Amino acid sequence: MTETESIRMEGRFHTDTVTKYFLMGIASIAISIVFFIILFIFANSTDAIRDVGIVKLFTTPRWAPGEELFGTVPIISGTLAVTAGAMIIAVPIGVSAAIFISEVAPGRFKTILKSVSEVFAGIPSVVYGFFGLMYLVPVLRDLFPDKLLLGSSWLAGSILLGIMALPTIISVSEDALNAVPRSYREASLAMGATKWETTRKVVTPAAVSGISTAIILGMGRAIGETMAVMMVCGNTPIVPDPFYNVFSGIRPITASLAFEMSYVVVGSTYYSALFFLALVLMGMVLLVSLVSKMMVSRTRKRFGEVKEGETVLHKLASKLPVSVVNGIKNGVWALVLFTVVLIASKPWLNVLGAAVLGAAVTAFSISVALLWINKLEKEGRLGADGRPLNASEFFEMLSTKTKARIRRALGLLAIVVLIYMPVSLFYDDVTSVLSGIAVAALFVVWKRLYRKVDSMRAQKVAHTGLMLVMAVTIGILLVIIVRIFVEGLPTVTWEFLTGFPEDAGRAGGIYPAIVGTLKLVAGAMIIALPLGIISGIYLAEYSKDTPLTRTIRNCIDILSGTPSIVFGLFGMTVFVILFGWGYSLIGGCITLGFMILPVIIRTTEEALKAVPQELREGSLAMGATKWQTTVKVVLPAAFGSVITGIILAIGRAAGETAPIMFTAVVAFQSKIPKSIFDPVMALPYQLYYLSTEGIAPPGMRSGVAVVLLSLVLSMFVLASIVRYHYNKKFKW
Amino acid sequence: MTNVIEIENLNLWYGDHQALKDITIPIKGNKVTALIGPSGCGKSTLIRCINRMNDLVDSCRVEGSMMFHGENIYGPDTDVIKVRKKIGMIFQKPNPFPMSIRDNITYGPKIHGVEDEDELERIVVDSLKKAALWEEVEDRLDSSAMALSGGQQQRLCIARTLSVSPEIILMDEPTSALDPIATAKIEELIDTLVKEFTVVIVTHNMQQASRISDYTGFMYLGEMIEFSKTEKLFTRPSEQLTERYITGRFG
Ligand SMILES: Nc1ncnc2c1ncn2[C@@H]1O[C@H](COP(=O)(O)OP(=O)(O)OP(=O)(O)O)[C@@H](O)[C@H]1O
Ligand SMILES: [Mg+2]
Repeated sequence: MTETESIRMEGRFHTDTVTKYFLMGIASIAISIVFFIILFIFANSTDAIRDVGIVKLFTTPRWAPGEELFGTVPIISGTLAVTAGAMIIAVPIGVSAAIFISEVAPGRFKTILKSVSEVFAGIPSVVYGFFGLMYLVPVLRDLFPDKLLLGSSWLAGSILLGIMALPTIISVSEDALNAVPRSYREASLAMGATKWETTRKVVTPAAVSGISTAIILGMGRAIGETMAVMMVCGNTPIVPDPFYNVFSGIRPITASLAFEMSYVVVGSTYYSALFFLALVLMGMVLLVSLVSKMMVSRTRKRFGEVKEGETVLHKLASKLPVSVVNGIKNGVWALVLFTVVLIASKPWLNVLGAAVLGAAVTAFSISVALLWINKLEKEGRLGADGRPLNASEFFEMLSTKTKARIRRALGLLAIVVLIYMPVSLFYDDVTSVLSGIAVAALFVVWKRLYRKVDSMRAQKVAHTGLMLVMAVTIGILLVIIVRIFVEGLPTVTWEFLTGFPEDAGRAGGIYPAIVGTLKLVAGAMIIALPLGIISGIYLAEYSKDTPLTRTIRNCIDILSGTPSIVFGLFGMTVFVILFGWGYSLIGGCITLGFMILPVIIRTTEEALKAVPQELREGSLAMGATKWQTTVKVVLPAAFGSVITGIILAIGRAAGETAPIMFTAVVAFQSKIPKSIFDPVMALPYQLYYLSTEGIAPPGMRSGVAVVLLSLVLSMFVLASIVRYHYNKKFKW
Repeated sequence: MTNVIEIENLNLWYGDHQALKDITIPIKGNKVTALIGPSGCGKSTLIRCINRMNDLVDSCRVEGSMMFHGENIYGPDTDVIKVRKKIGMIFQKPNPFPMSIRDNITYGPKIHGVEDEDELERIVVDSLKKAALWEEVEDRLDSSAMALSGGQQQRLCIARTLSVSPEIILMDEPTSALDPIATAKIEELIDTLVKEFTVVIVTHNMQQASRISDYTGFMYLGEMIEFSKTEKLFTRPSEQLTERYITGRFG
């Protein structure tokens, strides 16, 4: 009889279990970062909450720290305004471009167009800001000379943010459209629908959850954007008057933080009020991500994939009694109605009058609804389910025809209002209302005519329109890049790259800024790579659906949605003030590293998940441990994608300004610092500084922009080469 | 019995690969015609040719003629949209749109210009009744079609096709994703549908073909080996290949 090895565990720890807990520990760092960020911001804002009072913070109509007035309304409204404007610009363009790429463009163009929109996403926000300040703002000033003295305005901010939100909206919407099953398209075409009808009535509605997510992500980006809005919005913390006056200067939360943090006295009420603003900003970002999750589950429900209790809100709602939930829903509807009437009547009435009118209209609509329900009940026309208990149930109860009529009426009203608002900035009320009505009438006529148009011709027109939108989008990108290069390239000489700055940075070379940026990025990577890759491995290979991993995932979501300026504030309070390091390379590296961490985690996780299961099974079936399988089989197979993601993260880190401007950078150095506790110069900050504070010659500014852009874009090229190389090697 | 469609010398290529070779068959009106044959022999390709769904494949090229009431479906001035309205198609996997049951049915009529709400309502009721689905869904027309069972979904797809009053209904393995009970229901439905429509069905299931069809075509490697009355094809096939296939001695 031959001797066989025992299959018992022989009293040692199971190595896989140990590995698992180790990985879990690393992955949990994401939780502690989120925890500390929120803790620090909250702790710093308590002074303001105590001294000023939460009610006053939200109701004082002015932000004037010199007079001890800390009303956040103008600043919060600045964020809302600039974001709304950006979405009005970016959503139609972005969704059209996505539809073009996914449904119209021939195969080989698709990849090109997609990578072009990725390049859009990679351009650092300070470069967008620079472009806005140098080219967009002057153009707007020339277009509306009586309206804009300076050009910097809400309008400029929204256009710029709209451009910046485009890539997110395009790429996420495109993915959603692409994911619509081919069978839907075939079913529609087989009934004699044209391609365009199929796109409009089947594919796009089927992708609506993904498209909404895209829009929300774009909004998140716009809300958190700092550098660009700081440079072009006009830096005035006021509520526009009238509320749609796009020529007014505004100042969103992020810009306020970035501006005022640099001269506020640490520890003062003012300082604390700024942290309160940061807290509000975090709250908005969290709300946005919550809404996007709800949106997804809601549309899923409509499509029949019912999943209960998917978000916190749903869970909460399912715990409350039905009457309370309905009460809240009705309350929200009433509030919306009230607010709309209030805002709409404000130009003609004083606040009190508008409020009374709003309340009256709300009360009137509620009573009409109640009377209507009573009438139906008496006539016995309410089904077995009984009376509707909330506003949306009430709407559902109406007949198909009535619903269609209401929708149509609201649509026309929206057109009138949307036309009225911009026109009234230039002309009197009567003209504006009339032009609104005229456009609505034209719309009705157009719809009538459209029905008569041959469907093939309609398709041709639609496809041409989409193509034009796509062309304009690409055109904007080209204009940005070409203008910067044309102006800046002559400055970029060998001396410029290797020389030291002179005259407070306005002349001479930018060698220390290049070195500084490279150091910052390298340091950030040293911190983010190990943590990020290990967390990614844990999430992809080891995590089960436990409360802990769900918390980790949520925290990573929160981290990746956190505005970069918030990281900057966090770094400042911890490293600069608490640790007493002052501005230092290491403080900048850690801050930047934290910011880039969620990107690395996501990249790694997705790359590993894309590795086919059979590969793992093959290895495990030979008696390899999970860790051996991961390291020897899965990681090598996912290597290309991981590297690609890392390179892109490097590009992103190199262009970030907000996280380093309060932790690490200075505008002028005449020698390269030795210690990691010394401050450094950095390209993105230099570009910001030269564009706004220093009165630098244009060539100097564009020169810095060219170097920064080249650095970032070369990362893109490198990433594509790596991706191409590995795609050829591994194919499954 | 009139021929609704006459396919003559039809050849089809996907790039260099010839997937259909010299197919010549008639499709008789108000009858069920079944296409059988081993996997990859070109059944789907042929049935998709009949309403020009193969236009969607870039590399696809068609030669020969396919006459529909004397007009060539592949003629230079043929309106594909009208062809597809007249010749509907049911797919292997039920593919209702992610909309309400009602919207699924009204989709086609709306596309083809019906606007009147009452007319649309009539079409909804009518199509669902014809597809033997009315009783099961009458009180939830506004709920999602995705919540229906597989068999119900497939009948909804049939109702959706009926909503634009086609003449011919093409079915590519309509029951292969369904359980036996749902399959039986669809077969029963096909039986009633032929009174009003012409049905062409691709199936892998020879019992099914012999149960429900009037004519059967056996295909092999892109060729129509044999085409005749179902009864004859299954009892007295004239080709050896056919006999081997229907008796399961194939391979
Ligand atoms: N879009 C396409 N492009 C290229 N070749 C194709 C395409 N569709 C089918 N083919 C080829 O044409 C031939 C016939 O395919 P078809 O799908 O018609 O077969 P089938 O009889 O329906 O098979 P099955 O019973 O498996 O559905 C096969 O060789 C297939 O590989
Ligand atoms: Mg097939």
